[in-house]
Amino acid sequence: MSDPARFVETPGVNESPTFPLRVVDGLTLPAEYRKALRPGEEWKDATGFPRQLPRYFYEIPSWDLAMKIELASHFLLWEFIQVDVREAPPLRTFPRYVPCAITLLAVCLERFRDAVGTLVHISANGGYRSPTHRFSKNATPHAWGTAANIYRIGDTYLDNRSAIERFSLIARETLPGIWTRPYGAPTGFAEDHLHLDLGYVLSVPRDVKN
Amino acid sequence: MPKKEAPAPAATEIVPREHALREQIEKIEQESGARAIAVTLRDAETGLELHYHGDRWFHAASTIKVPILLGAFAAINRGELLPHSRVHVRNRFLSVVENIPFRVESGRDANSVVHNAIGKMMRVDELAYHMITTSSNLATNLLLGVLGPDAVSQTLKELHVDQGIELRRGVEDELAFEKGISNMVTADGLLRILVMLSEGKAFSPALSRRMMDILHGQEFNQGIPARLPKGTRVAHKTGEISTVAHDAGVVYLPKRKPYVLVILTEWDPAASGRSQTIAAISHTIYEYLTQGPEDK
Repeated sequence: MSDPARFVETPGVNESPTFPLRVVDGLTLPAEYRKALRPGEEWKDATGFPRQLPRYFYEIPSWDLAMKIELASHFLLWEFIQVDVREAPPLRTFPRYVPCAITLLAVCLERFRDAVGTLVHISANGGYRSPTHRFSKNATPHAWGTAANIYRIGDTYLDNRSAIERFSLIARETLPGIWTRPYGAPTGFAEDHLHLDLGYVLSVPRDVKN
Repeated sequence: MPKKEAPAPAATEIVPREHALREQIEKIEQESGARAIAVTLRDAETGLELHYHGDRWFHAASTIKVPILLGAFAAINRGELLPHSRVHVRNRFLSVVENIPFRVESGRDANSVVHNAIGKMMRVDELAYHMITTSSNLATNLLLGVLGPDAVSQTLKELHVDQGIELRRGVEDELAFEKGISNMVTADGLLRILVMLSEGKAFSPALSRRMMDILHGQEFNQGIPARLPKGTRVAHKTGEISTVAHDAGVVYLPKRKPYVLVILTEWDPAASGRSQTIAAISHTIYEYLTQGPEDK
């Protein structure tokens, strides 16, 4: 897919010649966004271990652009930012912000897609969601932009043990270091999707000097 | 189960003018084989009210979706939701019994639209529409998941229509059902909500009208509307499980003000003739309201 939008230069100090999104320092955003994104803050995971939240984000000016920007050959930006009414209100309208590590997740998913040989569908609330999303109780890699919930691969719905475990194994064999949530109903398990993540990865673009 | 006393008229309040109507309903009840029947009526044209076992509690079945509709529009009225706010369609819910997860079987919903959207998002107004018009259980639990049962109950309190309505859980929560934890309604309770909606007094005339429009889209018409004349419009909600069959709605006949009618019935699981009984009661009331005074 080649779309002119991919090469459009947008105003901004940290722009890449081949990527149209501006990098912003979350600490410079208006208060309502800082409250929702909590840039650079510590957040404890389920075991009580503190994790540092992302500070640098890509700014997405419009849904139209999100529909056009390729993060990988078969993944467009919009697929990673679908959130519902449970997301913090400022983060449901544009401009939207997504951690810079989202590009790493897209590359991993592209490789996973190659391995499964068909479409990989990320669920709503299953890509990036902020630490103030109502689903976010403890530090989750979703708030780092490094986790995906996949509810369907090709025509297969991942809502049973067999499907989830089969594709989980493919993910772990294909993507070194990837973590997949085990099948099951209790907290920490998943029974109606495949969760995979890269962990709490922070991405700091080269243009960032401070 | 101890129940709150509804402040409405007594279980079977008899005004002389209603006597003949009450006798006809009793006759239908005796011939139907139903375990229990409750009928409440308020006619905006004549001012007639009937409360036939109006404060008896029944398992709500899908009539509980009317209070949930009210809860959704309360959130819209407060600005917490917009009609086009999007909700993640996910078929996983937690029982009120020990938070054990459960799913809504797709075969239990009359249409597949909501089930086909699993993993995607649907608008609040779309979910409300499917919850009422085809009684989608998945849509109901998704809306309730966003609203929260406590917020819906609070809305009913603020509108002074909480008596006669007990919202305790989502639908299809089999574990809760087995433990006797069910949503309950009285005919008086549902009548109060529908009167408020039909009079345009739920939040605003515009929001009331939107809820009524959804109720007008009802696709299950074997109960109240079944034996009414052509040209009659009925905004209503049905409810049916193995032991109950209900219909509650607002009937709009040409050239007269509407009447609100709630018919709740309870049955042995093997009993038949439920819809016919509801339709017969509805027809009796229609005839009574449209006959001349000398006929009554």
